[in-house]
Amino acid sequence: MVSKRKRALALVLTGMMAAAALAGCTDGGGSTTTSSSTPAAQNSSAGGSEGSTDAAATTDILSDAMVNDVKDMLASEAKDGKITLKVWCSSSDLQFEKWLKDQFIERYSDSRYELKITPSSVEEPDVSSKLQADVSKGADVFSFPDDQLRTLVDTGCIAQVSSILNENVKKENTDASVEVCSIDGVPYAFPKTSDNGYFLYYDKRVFSDDDIKTFDGIISKANSQNKNVLFAMDNAWYNAGFFFTAGCESSYDGKTQTTDFDSDKGLSAVKAMAHICESAGSGFIGSGGDADVLAGFQNGTIAAAVTGTWNGPGIKEAIGEENVGATKLPTILINGEQQQLCSFGGYKVEGVRANTEFPTAAQVYAYYVTSEQSQLYRYGGANVVKGKDKDGNDKVLSRGFIPTNKAALETEDLKNDEAAIATNEQRPYSKPQSIVGGKFWSPQGNLGGSILAAKGNLSEDEMKTQLKDTVTAFNKASDNS
Amino acid sequence: MNYLDYVQMTKGQQIAYNLKKFFTGIPGAIKNLFLVIGAFFGNIFKTIGNGFANYGSRFAKGDIGTKLSYIVMGAGNIFHGQVVKGIIMLALEIGYFYYMAVFGLGQLAKLYCNNVPITDAQGNTIAIANGVVGSVPSTIEYVGILQTPQTKFGDDSSVILLYGVLTILITIAFFALYIGNTKSAYATQEIKAAGKQPKSIVQEIKSLFDERFHITLLSLPVLLLLMFTVLPIIYTVFMAFTNYDKEHQPPKNLFWWVGFKNFADVFYSDPATSRTFGKILVWTIVWAIFATFTNYVAGIILALMINKKGIKLKAMWRTIFVVTAAVPQFVTLLIMNLMLRDNGTLDTMFNTQFHFLSNAMNARITVIVVNLWVGIPYTMLITSGLLMNIPEDLYESARIDGANAVQQFTKITFPYIFFVTTPYLITTFVGNINNFNVIFLLTGGGPNNDTSYSQSGPTDLLVTWLYKLTLNEKDFNLAAVIGIIVFVITAAGSLITFNMSKASKNEEEFS
Amino acid sequence: MTNTNAAQGGYASKRKAANVAVYIILSVMSVIWIFPIFWLLMQSFRGEKGAIVPYVFPKQWTFSNYTRLFNDPDITEAFPYGKWFLNTLIVAIFSCLISTFIVLMVSYAFSRLRFKSRKTFLNLGLILGMFPGFMSMAATYNIMKAFHIEGTLGALVIVYSAGAGLGYQVAKGYFDTVSRSLDEAAMIDGATRSQIFYKIILPLSKPIIVYTALTTFIGPWTDYIFVSYFMLDDKENYTVAAGLVQLTNATTMYDYFTLFCAGAVLVAIPITILFVIMQKFYVAGVTGGAVKG
Repeated sequence: MVSKRKRALALVLTGMMAAAALAGCTDGGGSTTTSSSTPAAQNSSAGGSEGSTDAAATTDILSDAMVNDVKDMLASEAKDGKITLKVWCSSSDLQFEKWLKDQFIERYSDSRYELKITPSSVEEPDVSSKLQADVSKGADVFSFPDDQLRTLVDTGCIAQVSSILNENVKKENTDASVEVCSIDGVPYAFPKTSDNGYFLYYDKRVFSDDDIKTFDGIISKANSQNKNVLFAMDNAWYNAGFFFTAGCESSYDGKTQTTDFDSDKGLSAVKAMAHICESAGSGFIGSGGDADVLAGFQNGTIAAAVTGTWNGPGIKEAIGEENVGATKLPTILINGEQQQLCSFGGYKVEGVRANTEFPTAAQVYAYYVTSEQSQLYRYGGANVVKGKDKDGNDKVLSRGFIPTNKAALETEDLKNDEAAIATNEQRPYSKPQSIVGGKFWSPQGNLGGSILAAKGNLSEDEMKTQLKDTVTAFNKASDNS
Repeated sequence: MNYLDYVQMTKGQQIAYNLKKFFTGIPGAIKNLFLVIGAFFGNIFKTIGNGFANYGSRFAKGDIGTKLSYIVMGAGNIFHGQVVKGIIMLALEIGYFYYMAVFGLGQLAKLYCNNVPITDAQGNTIAIANGVVGSVPSTIEYVGILQTPQTKFGDDSSVILLYGVLTILITIAFFALYIGNTKSAYATQEIKAAGKQPKSIVQEIKSLFDERFHITLLSLPVLLLLMFTVLPIIYTVFMAFTNYDKEHQPPKNLFWWVGFKNFADVFYSDPATSRTFGKILVWTIVWAIFATFTNYVAGIILALMINKKGIKLKAMWRTIFVVTAAVPQFVTLLIMNLMLRDNGTLDTMFNTQFHFLSNAMNARITVIVVNLWVGIPYTMLITSGLLMNIPEDLYESARIDGANAVQQFTKITFPYIFFVTTPYLITTFVGNINNFNVIFLLTGGGPNNDTSYSQSGPTDLLVTWLYKLTLNEKDFNLAAVIGIIVFVITAAGSLITFNMSKASKNEEEFS
Repeated sequence: MTNTNAAQGGYASKRKAANVAVYIILSVMSVIWIFPIFWLLMQSFRGEKGAIVPYVFPKQWTFSNYTRLFNDPDITEAFPYGKWFLNTLIVAIFSCLISTFIVLMVSYAFSRLRFKSRKTFLNLGLILGMFPGFMSMAATYNIMKAFHIEGTLGALVIVYSAGAGLGYQVAKGYFDTVSRSLDEAAMIDGATRSQIFYKIILPLSKPIIVYTALTTFIGPWTDYIFVSYFMLDDKENYTVAAGLVQLTNATTMYDYFTLFCAGAVLVAIPITILFVIMQKFYVAGVTGGAVKG
C-alpha cells in the first residue's frame, strides 16, 4: 500500500535496519594513518607524564587553583548575567549527564552570573543531521560517535578545539583517541569514551581460555556443544577486519577513497572469509544485528559473539554476569598462518557548536565533561555515581564506558575490567573509521553477504570478479589490479 | 470494426482484439504525447505572442482608466465603476512592491554573485569564485583567554536559493495578476461603452460561488500545493545545476552554478552505477505492477465477500482489517521484519530456516506479499464504499433477466468499480514506484549478498537507492539530477497511460 | 410450480454453501491479518526485556509497559509519550478536517465544473506527487522558518494538509458516477453551484468522505521521518511515530522494546474508534431513487 501523503524523505536515518546494520556509523574521513603502532595504551611516545599537572605548555584549568580564573572567564562571557548552554547526549546517558552538570554548576557558580545548562536527549548518530538542519538551534555542547566528525567539519557546524585546551587533551588521552578527533591535523573534538568498537564476548561455561584463541577453534568448540558463534560477515564494519589483517590499506581524504583491496592480499582475505563461512550453520552464524545477538544468548543458540559494550548489559542479563567473558578478537587462518583479526575502532567524543554564543563556557564545559575525573565517574567502579529511582531505591547512574584518559585507564578498576582489557588488547589492531568513505559500507557488506550465502563455496574466478565489483563500487581513484 | 462484429466474436477473440488495440495504440499514444507536449509548448508561445499583441492593442484602444492601470493596477476598474475590486488590485500591487523592496530583490540579487572569496575550514581564503549563490563567507574569530573560535556564519546558499525561487514564483504570480488587471480594465471599458454596468463587488462575490466556483474551490489547495510541492520541486531542479555536494555544504560553505556539468557526470560516471540502474529500474517496474494489481484484485474480492448478502457482522469484519491499518506502518513492518528474518519468530516457531529475507528471490516475493498485508484494508475500504453506491435496482433487473452471480459481477459490479478507480489505480501504480516505506523498512533494500549491485540490493527501488546515495555521499546535486531523471521517466509513463485510459476519455459515460 | 420451488430451494442452499465458504475464508484471512497485531499485543504485556524473543506468549505478564510510558519519570524525561499522543491527536484532527475539506473541494471542481485549464490541472495533479522528494524536507523547513513557525505543530498541520490537494482521484471518480441529472434538476430550480455542492453532492458522498477522513486521520500517526527532521531536538513537540522510533535504536532497543510495543498498540486505539464511529455513515444511502419518476 502506498500512502499518497508520504512524500518527504530524509537525511535523518532512524531506520531500525540501518541502526542495526551500521551500528551508528555514517561516513568517515580524516587522517590517513592507522592507529598507534605501539601495543601499550599507556605511556605513549608523546613523553610520559600521566598526571594532570605540570608540563610547561599546559594549564590545568580544572584544578582547584584555577577555579577563580575559570569563574572570571565565565563572568566575562555572561550575557545579561546569564550563561545558557544546551547539551545533547544519548537518552540512556541523560541522567548521568544531568548529575555531571550539577557537579559543574556547583563548582563554578558565582554571584556574577547564572549558569543554566540543560542536557537533552538526541541520539548520537542523529547529531550531525540535526545540526545541519538548523545550526543555530543546535546544542552548544554535544556528544557524537567519531565517524561523524568529518561531516560536522565539512558543514562547518563544529568548532575547533581551543589550542590551549588541546595541549591538555593531547597529553591526557590516548594517542589513538586524540587522532580520531582531528581532521587534517586540526583538533575538533574532545575524546570521551573508547569502547564504541567491538571485540569478542563469550560464555565462560562453554569456552576455555584456549578455545577462544583462534576463530576456527571457537567454531569447532561451539559446534561440539550445539551452539554457535555470531559474527556479522555481511556487515562491512566487521568484515573489513579480514582485509586489514591481510595487510590491505585504505585512506580517505574527504573526497575519494583509495585502497588496495583488489589485489592478491585482498584475495587472501576473501579466501579467509570463505573458509569461515564454510561452517555456516554448524557452529557459525554469519549474519545478525544486536537484537539477534541478545536473542541468541537468551535462547542458548549463541555462545559467543563479536559485538561491543552496548550489548554488554544485555548479554550479562541473558547468561549471568559471572559467565560473561570478554577478550580481543581471535586470530584467523589467512595465507596458511594464524593472524590477529583486525577491527574498526570507535570512540564517543564531545564537540562544541561553531557559532555558539558562549564559546569559552562551552569549551570549558566540554573539557570538563571529558576530563579524567568525569571519565572515571562515567565509568563507575570505585567512582560509581548513584541516584534514586522513582520508588526511592538506589540506582546506578554511571554508564560503564571505558575512558580514553590515560591516567583513568591506569586505575585498578580499569586494569581489571575485562571489556577494558579486551579493548586495550584489540586497540593495536583497530583502525579508525575515518580511513573509509561513505561509499565503502554497502559494497563491502555485499561482498561478505555473498560469500556467506555461498557458504564459502566460490571458485577463485568468482572471488576475483566479486572482489573487483566490490572495489570498483567504492574505490574511485585507483585502478589497481 | 463495428459493434455488431465485435459482439459476435468469441470471448477469446475479443480479448485478443483488445490487447492488440492496446499495444498498437501505444506508439500512437506516445506520438500523441509528443504532439500534446509540442502543442503545449506551441500554445505557450502562441499565447505569449498573442498576449504581447493584445497587451499592446489594449493599451492603444484603452481610455484613460485603462491606460493608467498599466502602471497603477486597479485604476481601470475604479474608473469604470468597480471601486472595491480596483482597490484590492492596488493593494496587491503595493504589497508586491513592498515585498520586493524589503526582501525579494535582495534574494534575487544574491543568486548570482561574482568575486566571492571561498574559505577553507580555518577561515583562510583559498579561491575566488564567480556565479556564487550568496556572497558573504563565514568567518572565524578567536575570543577569550582560551582563544576559543567562534564562527559567524555568512550567507547560506541553500536558503538563498530557496528564497530566490520563492521570489521568482511570486513574481510570476504577480505578473499574471498584472496582465489580468489590464484585461479586466479593458473589459470593463467595453462594457461601459456598450452602455451596461460592470459587475458590482457583490455580484462578483456571488459569481465566485456559481459560475466561477472552481476558483473558490481551488484557490486554497492550489496555493498550498504551490508552496509545498511545486516550490520544492523547482528548488530541487535548480539544485541540479549547482555544485551543492559534500564539499560545498552549508552553513559554512557557499556553492555556485555549474550548468550542465552534473548531468554529464551522472551519465559518464562509474560503470557500476549504470549497471545497477538498469537492474533496479526493471525491479521497480515489476514491483509496481505486482504490488498494485495484487492489492487491487484482492481488495475487491475481500470487499465483495464482506458485502455479500447473508454475511453477518459486516462491521466487525471491516473493523478487523482497519485495525491492521491503524497500527503505524513502521511498527507493523518492523514486526514483519522481526518475524521473517533468519532465526526470527517464524523460523523458531517452525524450526526451519525459511530464508524469507536473506534470499533475493524470496525477499522479492515476501515484499509483495507483505505489501498485500499492508494495503488490502485500504482497497477494501474504497471498494466497499463504491459497492454500496451501485443502485440495487440494476441488480434487480439483471436478476429478472436471468443473470447469475458471475455475470452480475462482470457486467455491473466490475465495470463500475474499474471505471471509478482507474485513476486511483494509475496513481497507486505510480505511487508504488516510489513506495519507500515498505521496501526500506522491511528489507532495507537487501538482502545484501550480491556484489553486482552498487550501493544497493535486489529489493531496492529507484527511490530507496537514491536515498542511500544521498545519505552516504551527500552529493545533493547529483541526487537531484537522478531524481529529475526518475521523475521524467515516471511522469511520461503515467501521462501516457492516463490519457489513454477510457476513464479520462469518457468521463461523462457513467452519469 | 414445483419446478420454481425446487429451483428456489436449490438456489437457497447453494447460497448457504457459498456463505459458509465465505465465512471460512474471511475467518482464515482475519487470523492471518490479525496475527502480527496479536503478536504486538502480546509483546506489549511482556515483562522480560529484549527485542526478539522466540516465543509468542509472555513468561511474565505485566501492565507496566503501558503505565511506565506515562508515569515513570526515567522514561518520560527522554520519551514524553503522553505529550506525543496529545500532539498527534491534535495534529491528526486538524489535518483530517482540512485535508478532507480540500480533497472534496478539488474532486468536485474537477468532476463537476468545466473550466479552461481543467485538463492541464488534471495532468499536473497526476505527476506532481511523483517527484522523489527528500530535498523538500529542507525546503519545507526553511519556508516555515520564513514565516517563523518552524518546529510548531501548526506547521505540521499545514504540511500534511498541503499534500491533500493531490489525493482527489478516488473522490473524483466517485463524483463522476453521481448522476448529472441531479445537478440539472437543481439548477433548473435556481440553485447556485455552491449550493449544489453543499446540499446535494456532499450528502451523497458519505462513504468517500469516511474513507478520506480516515486516511487523512491515520497519516499523522504514522509519519516519523518528516517530524524527526522538522522538530529537531524538541522532544516535547514530537508526534507519536517519531517518538516511538527513538525507542528502537541499538542502545535502547533491549530495554525499551516492550514499551515500544505498548505505545504502538495505544496508537491504534483512536483510529479504530474513529472508524467504528464512522461506520454508520459508511453504510450510506443509495442515489437510485433521487431522480426517478
